[in-house]
Amino acid sequence: MKEIKIRTKDLTLYYGAKMALNSITMDIPEKEVTAFIGPSGCGKSTFLRTLNRMNDLIPNVRVTGEVLVDSLNIYDKQIDVVNLRKKVGMVFQKSNPFAKSIFENVAYGPRINGINNKSKLEEIVETSLKKAFIWEEVKDRLNDSAMGLSGGQQQRMCIARTLAVEPEIILMDEPASALDPISTAKIEELIFELKKNYTIVIVTHNMQQAARVSDLTAFFYLGELIEFGKTKKIFTTPDKKHTEEYITGRFG
Amino acid sequence: MERHFELELEKLNKRLLKMGSLVYDQVHNALDALLACNIELAQQVIDTDNKVDKLDVKIDKLCQRIFALTQPVATDLRLIMSALKMNNDLERLGDLAVNISEKIEGISEYKEILTELHVDELANMADLIVKDVVNILHTRNTTFVKDIFTSASAIEEKVQSVSARILDEMMHKTEVIVVATNLMIILTQIDRIAGYSTNIAESIVFIVEGRMIKHKKAFSHGENSDNGSEAAPESEATPESNDNP
Repeated sequence: MKEIKIRTKDLTLYYGAKMALNSITMDIPEKEVTAFIGPSGCGKSTFLRTLNRMNDLIPNVRVTGEVLVDSLNIYDKQIDVVNLRKKVGMVFQKSNPFAKSIFENVAYGPRINGINNKSKLEEIVETSLKKAFIWEEVKDRLNDSAMGLSGGQQQRMCIARTLAVEPEIILMDEPASALDPISTAKIEELIFELKKNYTIVIVTHNMQQAARVSDLTAFFYLGELIEFGKTKKIFTTPDKKHTEEYITGRFG
Repeated sequence: MERHFELELEKLNKRLLKMGSLVYDQVHNALDALLACNIELAQQVIDTDNKVDKLDVKIDKLCQRIFALTQPVATDLRLIMSALKMNNDLERLGDLAVNISEKIEGISEYKEILTELHVDELANMADLIVKDVVNILHTRNTTFVKDIFTSASAIEEKVQSVSARILDEMMHKTEVIVVATNLMIILTQIDRIAGYSTNIAESIVFIVEGRMIKHKKAFSHGENSDNGSEAAPESEATPESNDNP
């Protein structure tokens, strides 16, 4: 069994008076892909966002319980959120390139972290784009606008941008849901490669994608963690009837 | 979408049951024909085999379509995987009925040997095991699976004892050698009927409970489980044993 990278203990989250997550306790191992599945509104994206405190940006959110990343509670007052988000990067459903060149997009994070040396930045940009398997496609047009890339390329560039600040954990919120099958396949291959060095947590509505890319799968329903286990077990012989009904499409 | 998928699974289940029922009739008629040395009924079994073959292809194609178009998981995945296997096992049971039917003419001149050597008892046991397993396929009640294993062990033991007696007869009465050889071949088919029946029972357990019990000698189905029924399907996995008449 691999080391535990993220551990949540009785994590409960309220949007105002509404409880969105109910006492979630979960161990996410390092350098594996963990997928969150469940119907819309089940809390999976909310839970994902608690892992790098993205919910702090939403008004009226109240969190109780603990989220430990490398054994440190990220909800402690002393925690520097900027450093936390550097360590726990995030890729969103819709790619969100800045209206800048490809180079500047990827160099953005290192720059705000104080790296201004041109050759160092060039090295980081090249390495990050290579890790995101997009270097060959963009190496001759690094100064072109990132907005001119295709949707799939934009998403991989955004992954490169996340990698540029050297995170240890990458959170992905439906990273391929707006992409065509070929771009989706590239993102999935990329996830396979990335898990050698990073801990990946992915939210997906695509059941087959969860089955293909993840080592572990967690099924959420109405803010509760219903079942969490090895993906190969969940998709062949789930323990809970509810999980079975959801993954076989007999839900509700 | 969901409704359509449910209909496909329902169709698959219906076809499997139809296959089970058709194959049971084939085995039943073949064994009836054997005990009565009824050449006409034996020929009917041989002629009906093409129906089994056609249904076999239909079920395979349906499984292929469901796999390709719906990417089944969990219980649906287990059902379709097992449907493919059970369909194959049922089709083989149909072949065994044909094999038996083809040898009946060769023993008709000395049919008293059937009762003398208790082949009739063995035929009834084989008939019952197929009937029972087809019944479990219908009800999916896995509590009766261990009875299939017990019956298969009993059939295997009985085949061995009857075979020994046939060999004995052959040594003492040269005039029965041809008949006895045909009878030995029929006994082999009956032994395999038990083996394929246990295969099907194992698949049903996999569908219902998600447990793979094949090759697990420790499955609790009586004292003789270690050398009993579960050894039979393994030995039958070789192509030559299946093609052998």
